[in-house]
Amino acid sequence: MRRLLLVLANDVRRHLKAPMAILIFMVIPLGMTGLIGVIFAPQTEGSELPPISVLLVDNDKGLASKLLVGAFDVDQMKEMFQVTVTDEADGRKRMGRGKASAMVVIPEGFTLDLLDAKPVTLLVVKNPSEQFLPDVVEEFMNTMAVMLSGVVQAFAEEVRGIRAMLDRPVESFPWDKLGPEFGKAQKKVVAARTYLDPLILRLKAEETKAAGARTSFTQADLFSAVLPGMAVMFLLFIVQTLMRDIISEREDGKLRRMLTTPLRPIELIGARIAGGWVMGIAVLLVMVAAGTLIFRATWGPLGGFLLLGAVASFWAAAFFALLHALVRNRNQSGAFSAPIILAFSLFGGSMMNLEAMPKAFRTVGILTPNRWFIDGAALLRDGRFPFVPILILAGSGILLLALAVPALRRRTSV
Amino acid sequence: MLEIRNLTKSYGDILALDRFSLDLGKGEVLGLLGPNGAGKTTLISILAGTLADFSGTVTFQGRNLFADRALKNRLGIVPQDMAFYDELSAMDNLLFWGGLYDVPRAELKRRAAELLERVELAGRAKEPVKKFSGGMKRRLNTAIGLLHHPDLLLLDEPTVGIDVQAKVSILDIIRNAGASGTAVIFTTHQLAEVETTCSRIAIMDHGRILAQGTLDELVRIVGERDIVEITGEFAAGPFSEALQDIAGDGIELLSVADNLASLAVAATEQIPRIMDRLFRRKLAVTDLKIKSPNLETVFLKLTGRSLRD
Ligand SMILES: Nc1ncnc2c1ncn2[C@@H]1O[C@H](COP(=O)(O)OP(=O)(O)O)[C@@H](O)[C@H]1O
Ligand SMILES: [Mg+2]
Repeated sequence: MRRLLLVLANDVRRHLKAPMAILIFMVIPLGMTGLIGVIFAPQTEGSELPPISVLLVDNDKGLASKLLVGAFDVDQMKEMFQVTVTDEADGRKRMGRGKASAMVVIPEGFTLDLLDAKPVTLLVVKNPSEQFLPDVVEEFMNTMAVMLSGVVQAFAEEVRGIRAMLDRPVESFPWDKLGPEFGKAQKKVVAARTYLDPLILRLKAEETKAAGARTSFTQADLFSAVLPGMAVMFLLFIVQTLMRDIISEREDGKLRRMLTTPLRPIELIGARIAGGWVMGIAVLLVMVAAGTLIFRATWGPLGGFLLLGAVASFWAAAFFALLHALVRNRNQSGAFSAPIILAFSLFGGSMMNLEAMPKAFRTVGILTPNRWFIDGAALLRDGRFPFVPILILAGSGILLLALAVPALRRRTSV
Repeated sequence: MLEIRNLTKSYGDILALDRFSLDLGKGEVLGLLGPNGAGKTTLISILAGTLADFSGTVTFQGRNLFADRALKNRLGIVPQDMAFYDELSAMDNLLFWGGLYDVPRAELKRRAAELLERVELAGRAKEPVKKFSGGMKRRLNTAIGLLHHPDLLLLDEPTVGIDVQAKVSILDIIRNAGASGTAVIFTTHQLAEVETTCSRIAIMDHGRILAQGTLDELVRIVGERDIVEITGEFAAGPFSEALQDIAGDGIELLSVADNLASLAVAATEQIPRIMDRLFRRKLAVTDLKIKSPNLETVFLKLTGRSLRD
């Protein structure tokens, strides 16, 4: 055990002394996230994006629905959204032709149900051929949903009074004052969601082509949604780099020298896997800190995220231990690792929004750690504990470890 | 202290060690001389425990070297590859590699500092090793094998490809180790090194020891004869044929290659006879040197090869 810790400490020290590879792999995902943010993030002021075209279907035509429709009509919102009010049949037809980024359907009886504090559901139909614009619409609607739910719950008494003013014009609501502060308020409002649970007003997202298919729905902002995928992709790259020591030391004679000492092969294997695991966690923590500072990304409860990161890092260490027990030399390691990581990232949703991907992709994605990490991160941001992702990552990680250790022992002994 | 019996190792058809046997006592420094491919590295690797699938036995301090893990603490290995971490400093390397043995931390630090002093790296102990010259790296590579004060030190070509200063320093370490009671085996194909450093010399080729003893004992194998080295324009075959009938009659062909041959002669008076035979066969001689016997000629006689092959 003393020797295992010695090797582990030495590995950490070495990688801190020559941190270029690790630094690069940490800067790239942050940079990529920033880039995506610059291109796609909704901007409330000085927006250079064309307005997002939204179809609005008001099946309710009551006060609350008018409030919602009116919200899209405020100056600040007009810069962001180009709203076309239509009926559902026409809206579906237009979505089918890809004429809009999203369609928001306000159900019949919306106002009355809301005022009676009955759960109601807004439908957001998203255009799957666009990546982020539909998410912005969904995001906006989500904010509105949380706000309205909050208002209804906070003013339960007054709501009865509101019922009496059913016919007052929408224009009297002070949207102009709300508008400029909307961006800042949005985050606070969304954060308040946990206290409002269960929401009275729920949002249902769906895509036109995959009609009926439930899509997972993240409520946090763009960065928070993009960053975990990037983080897990580069976690894989970094752990891969660390585990490559297994093979490079076999080639340059260090392994042979270690075997002449009292160090046992199993201690060396243990140190290497533990080292990849621990350093993977450390790297994730740095990325979380950087993501929070630079992008104000949210991660949900830190303890939960740490646990998710720990199992993901464990999975990566076990996987690359196995890979490096199987490949013959450094070249093979490089030749296999990069395509595998990129495939994981593509199918697992690190590179593209899972919702924007064909169904077959998503099915294959189940086999990737990226998918489970991203799912887990989304659940955490959603205030839920990611039992299933953690169990799957930990379980398959243990399986990989069980395969890797004997394979490595065979290749580590003389 | 070390008894090697009938070590045999083959790689497919290649017999790298052929019933190799050797005894070594406390404080003895054995220089193992052999041309490339003689089996030196194979021997060291087996003793170091990094090569499997061989036959034969090795007893070290009365115990089976390969069965007793505790013996690894008594064994110091300096491999042919420079195996240490380039990105770390010399001191960090010593502390890591030495730390793998059972040496108390404080004692390890003391020994590391002392060793760095001895190999003249103390001034650069904190620099990353990748900035070191080849000779400095070799010195560090050697020092790593000594931190735990082994009873048996094995060095595989520790002086290959380095400057004179580094070589002197490493040979010094080897002599010191021997003087302090450590048994040493070091392989080389440099004659001058073994002449000045070893208490015993073994010459090996084709996986076995051809002769061993002190320098004087080995030189006596060639006897009180002179060595004649002939350079010219001839092929090995015709040269040997030309001297066939006089060989044995006080003349011994030590090695014959195209354009270069070495002979041992009982007296220089025999040289004209040799030249006569060569002229008759029209084998042109361009140069002829007469030497007194030394380790090189012993090596030549035993292996039929020059060390520089
Ligand atoms: N891994 C190997 N596979 C096949 N043949 C080998 C291997 N290692 C050494 N040999 C062969 O075994 C013989 C002895 O090699 P080695 O012990 O390296 O000699 P030396 O160190 O004296 O130069 C040589 O003929 C060499 O080609
Ligand atoms: Mg060799």
